[in-house]
Amino acid sequence: MMEFASVIAGAVLLLLLTAALKGWLASRQLGPWPAASEEDTTEPCPEEFFTRVFTRADWEFVRGLKAGGVERLFERERKKVALAWVRQTAALIRKVISEHARAARQSENLEFSTEINIFAQFLMLMAVCGILSVAVQIAGPLWLGGLAHFAQTLSQRLTKLQESFQAGVPAQTGEAGSA
Amino acid sequence: MVNNSEGSAGQAAYMNVPDRTVTVEEAYDDLARRSLSRISGDLARLIYLASTRDYNTGQYRHDGLAARFRAEIACNALELAHRQIFYRIAACSLEELVREVELYVSASQQGREEILRVWQKLEPYRVALPVNVNVALAQLFVSNIKLALAIVQGRQKQRAMGASAS
Repeated sequence: MMEFASVIAGAVLLLLLTAALKGWLASRQLGPWPAASEEDTTEPCPEEFFTRVFTRADWEFVRGLKAGGVERLFERERKKVALAWVRQTAALIRKVISEHARAARQSENLEFSTEINIFAQFLMLMAVCGILSVAVQIAGPLWLGGLAHFAQTLSQRLTKLQESFQAGVPAQTGEAGSA
Repeated sequence: MVNNSEGSAGQAAYMNVPDRTVTVEEAYDDLARRSLSRISGDLARLIYLASTRDYNTGQYRHDGLAARFRAEIACNALELAHRQIFYRIAACSLEELVREVELYVSASQQGREEILRVWQKLEPYRVALPVNVNVALAQLFVSNIKLALAIVQGRQKQRAMGASAS
C-alpha cells in the first residue's frame, strides 16, 4: 500500500515537473511583437484585459451570430491571445526569479524558509503556466478562467515577495557596510 | 505620417508660441476639443492619432498643436491621447468593437467593401499600437479587430445576398 502511494506521489511530482518545464519553455517563445522591448514585454497585463480572454461574454456574442466561420476564427484567435498571456506571465516570473537570485547573492543573511517559499511558489507558478499552456491548446481558454486567475494572483504575490526582499537587501548591505 | 495643421489660424499662432509654462494636460484638452471631438468613433480617433506618429522616430507631430503649445508638449499630449484611446478600445467588448468598425467604415469616403478588403489584407491597424504596449494586450487588440472585421464583412455579405434575393 505504501509503495503504491509512493508511485502515485512520484507520478504526480513528475507531472508537475513536466508542466513546470513546459511553462518555462513556453516563456522562452514570446510573440512576434516588435513594438515592445523585453522589459515591457514582461510587464503584467492589466487584469481587466486578461479576464476578458478567459470569460465567455464575447463568445456568447459570437455564438449568437450563428456564423460557423466566425466561431472558428474566434476560437483560434482567443487561443493565440491566451497563449501569449501565459507566455508573458511565465516570462515575467522568470524575470522576477532571476532578479531574486541576483539580490540573494548580495544578501548576507538569507532566510532558508523564505527562499524555500519563493522557490516553491516559482515552481508552482511554472507548473500552472505549463498546465494552462497545454489546456488552452487542447480546450481553448473559455473554461480556464479560474486557473488563469490563480496564476495571476500567484504571480502578483511572488512579485511582491521579491520586491519586499529586494527592498531589504540594500538596507542589509548598507548596514553591513557602515558596521 | 500626417503633418497636421489647422489652417491659417494655426500658421499665425505658430509665430506666437506662448512663453508661459503649459502642461501636457492643457495641450491634451486642446487636442480633445479641437481635433478629436470632430472625429466620430474611437477607432477613427485611434487611427488619426497613430497617423501623427513618425514611423522612423516614433515622435508625434501636430503643427497646429505645436504652434499653440510647444512641439515637445504637443508630442506628449498626442502620445497620452493615443495611449488612452488605445486602452479604451482594447477594453471594448467584441460587440462594441464591431459597432466601432461599422462606424469607421460608414464614415470613410472609400467603399465599405474596399476598406474591409484592404484592412483584412494589409492589417494597417497594427500600426495603431502605442509604443511599449503590453504584448498580450496588443495581441488581444489585433485579434479583436480581426474578428470585428470578419463579423462586419459577414453582415455585409448577408445584406448583399438579401438585396439580390429581393
